[in-house]
Amino acid sequence: MDTLLLARLQFATTTSLHFLFVVVTLGLVTLLVGMQTAGFLTGNPKWERLTRFWGQLYVINYVLGIATGLVMEFQFGLNWSGLSRYVGNVFGAPLAIETLVAFFLESTFLGMWIFGWHRLRPVVHLALLWGVAITAYASAFWIMVANAWLQNPVGYQVRDGIAHLTDFSALLTNPTFGMAFGHVVAASLLTGGMLMAAVSAWHLLRRTPDHALFRTSLRIGVVTAAVSISLVQGFGFAQFGPVATAQPTKFGGTPAADALVAEWTTTFGPGDYEPPALSSVGLGFMILIGFGLGLLWLLVPLLWRDWIIRLRFPLWLLLLALPLPFVAVILGWIAREVGRQPWVAYGLLPTDRAVSGVDPGVMLASLIGFTLLLGTLAVTNWVLLAKHAARGAADPPLGRRPDHRPADDARPETVLAG
Amino acid sequence: MELAWYALLGAFFAGYLVLGGYDYGIGLLLARRTAPADRRATLNAAGPFFLGNEVWLVAAVGILFGAFPTLEGELLSGLYPAVVGALTGVILVTVGVQLRSRPAGAGARSAWDRVVAVGGLLAALGWGAVLAGLLQGVPLHADGHVTGVTHLFTPFAAGVGLALVALVAAHGATFLTLRLPAATAVPAGRLARRLIPVALAAVGAATVLGLLSEGVRAAAQRPAVGVLLLALLVAALVGARVALARRRPGLAFAATSAALALPVALVGAILWPYALVSTVDPAASLTVADAAASAPTLRLLGWLTVPLVPALLGFQAMCWWVFRGRTDGRAPVYW
Ligand code: HDD
Ligand code: HEM
Ligand code: HEM
Repeated sequence: MDTLLLARLQFATTTSLHFLFVVVTLGLVTLLVGMQTAGFLTGNPKWERLTRFWGQLYVINYVLGIATGLVMEFQFGLNWSGLSRYVGNVFGAPLAIETLVAFFLESTFLGMWIFGWHRLRPVVHLALLWGVAITAYASAFWIMVANAWLQNPVGYQVRDGIAHLTDFSALLTNPTFGMAFGHVVAASLLTGGMLMAAVSAWHLLRRTPDHALFRTSLRIGVVTAAVSISLVQGFGFAQFGPVATAQPTKFGGTPAADALVAEWTTTFGPGDYEPPALSSVGLGFMILIGFGLGLLWLLVPLLWRDWIIRLRFPLWLLLLALPLPFVAVILGWIAREVGRQPWVAYGLLPTDRAVSGVDPGVMLASLIGFTLLLGTLAVTNWVLLAKHAARGAADPPLGRRPDHRPADDARPETVLAG
Repeated sequence: MELAWYALLGAFFAGYLVLGGYDYGIGLLLARRTAPADRRATLNAAGPFFLGNEVWLVAAVGILFGAFPTLEGELLSGLYPAVVGALTGVILVTVGVQLRSRPAGAGARSAWDRVVAVGGLLAALGWGAVLAGLLQGVPLHADGHVTGVTHLFTPFAAGVGLALVALVAAHGATFLTLRLPAATAVPAGRLARRLIPVALAAVGAATVLGLLSEGVRAAAQRPAVGVLLLALLVAALVGARVALARRRPGLAFAATSAALALPVALVGAILWPYALVSTVDPAASLTVADAAASAPTLRLLGWLTVPLVPALLGFQAMCWWVFRGRTDGRAPVYW
């Protein structure tokens, strides 16, 4: 096994894991902002209960977003030192901006939001959640700017074999950025909406208490998912144009692609410049899922007079469909990332020049180690998430009044009250 | 310009060691077999600050990538095992603290507490070894790449790793002395007083190993500054011990915080003008200026992010202010 293959495998596994958590983060936080704001404006306690229940699931999910995100951040330096050496001047900038502008504030706000219930004034507490959401979008924005640059390097000039930044605004108007960002945000909303709808459907099917509460979140989830799937489809098809222009070899078979391969062969030497077949297979399945989920619109009229609940089978459908958006996001990313091979930065930096000079044994140990670590943590996290989702909205730990402890929780009231 | 960015990088990493350091310290203290209620109270002391602490590391690495891309690649890949160890520790602490109270069973919670303790240990050892790795230099070749990993396994790296473990443990106990309800803070204070001499001894041992290490002697560009900063570190620890004895936990915490920030300043100052010293080819050593991104990138980052630094610090300060004082019955318990 060579270092390059192992490094690629490690990147693929850890990013896929990261993304499974961040789509949910981005989708749920948007819905949470809506619910907490509604509670603030109307004063109806229903909204506070909804915010606590979904906020609890959001916060549990967030844990693995951080853990896998940390690995992503270090992985660039650990395994891809050539990336920072040759294109760090350009690619590093959006990442640095992301960490300072987005993550730093996001985590600070989230810590205050979790512990600020019943302690901060409601308007401050609400503002904190808005802060969390805005910074989450900012982080998605900048990471997509960085990724779009790898897909289509712009705004740089190569001197002494190293790329230097010449025009930052080109990074923001990169044709591989705009539609992709819209597509990713829409996919996150779709995933968040479907998660909300599916968990609510489970409670309604089991006829757990809180029928009214889960009826509300079912409606929010279904409407969000239906609107988002249309956006996903729109932005998705809109990507084909810019991507095919910027990356002729991705979908292949055109004269432009052959011309580009010929050009690379002269500048970079002979090599295999066609992306692996794997990429386009995934794309087809994703689009199939995208069309399938378009059927979500059929559920919207059933919200009338609660037919969706009375008929019951639509609830089953929602439950069964929950894995689909997760499968689709991974397939979409594989299409995008594998489709730009053999380049890290398309047409500029070949993948094999970007990988660190680490021993294959070390890389293998790191691949196995991080896969096992993050895999175990991810499964544990999903189990906890499912348990908390099933437990219902009676009294989630998030936002519990300090004087209000359930009997089953052996909390050290005396110590804390001391 | 490079110097300003280098200082900012150092400031964020030092800030991380101070803030993340007490999280790891209290994590280590969870390894003691105390009652579940005490462990819960220990974690709640870090409570609202916890998420905002770890993110200093994320920001430091972001600055490293944006402003010093060449250094980023060679530093992280050149110190691979240390960085991976530290990263694993950081992950275990982050996940452990946030998830430990989600299962309801006492057994599962104790198991998570052990995960947090192991994570704190790994993180402190790992970052200690990273600092030591910088001080003893790496086999950086003329082609700009570091090869191999065995260069990291030296007595000095182990010594600095253990010294950092002792430092974070003392720092964590001091934090608890400051934060826990007055009644439970007394045993924490006793523990902190006992841990500070251990930290002093560990720092002394690491210093001796450093003096014996050829790599460190060759890499040190300005040993006098090193001696001065080391003296400050010792003074901070002694000061913390005195302040604890006089029941001034705030002052003691400031002193142990200084003790965690100083190693970063020490490494930066001793090596200056180098950022990464080569042990195989002096000409290959990377100066701070070489390691920095080119001027347009630094200018862009300067315009975009530096005006934000006061806002970043302001929101962190808001968090400290809102949740200041000892933990009491009014604060929600979450971790
Ligand atoms: C819920 C998830 C989901 C669903 C249902 C779809 N997609 Fe998608 N797709 C993604 C989630 C996603 C993604 C994971 O978010 C990607 C990866 C990179 C990106 O920008 O978005 C992606 C990438 C991606 C790309 C690759 C862009 C590139 O190679 O640079 C194309 C062309 C499309 N999508 C098109 C579509 C179409 C036409 C769809 C259905 C009608 C569709 N996607 C449904
Ligand atoms: C948006 C930010 C992202 C950036 C900056 C990024 C960057 C990279 C880099 C540097 C590599 C390694 C070099 C290479 O193989 O070309 C890579 C590979 C890869 N990434 Fe991403 N990535 C991003 C998002 C994602 C996501 C969310 C996924 C989710 C599935 C993903 C899937 C992959 C896969 C499958 C590979 C391996 C491709 C191959 O080597 O054949 N990426 N990416
Ligand atoms: C491959 C490139 C990526 C890297 C290096 C990366 C890095 C990180 C890091 C370090 C964190 C943790 C921050 C913290 O400690 O609070 C994080 C979290 C996050 N990332 Fe990524 N990320 C990548 C891809 C993506 C993509 C493609 C998206 C979305 C489009 C995304 C969105 C987020 C969000 C919203 C968070 C915060 C919420 C959470 O932790 O769940 N990331 N990421």
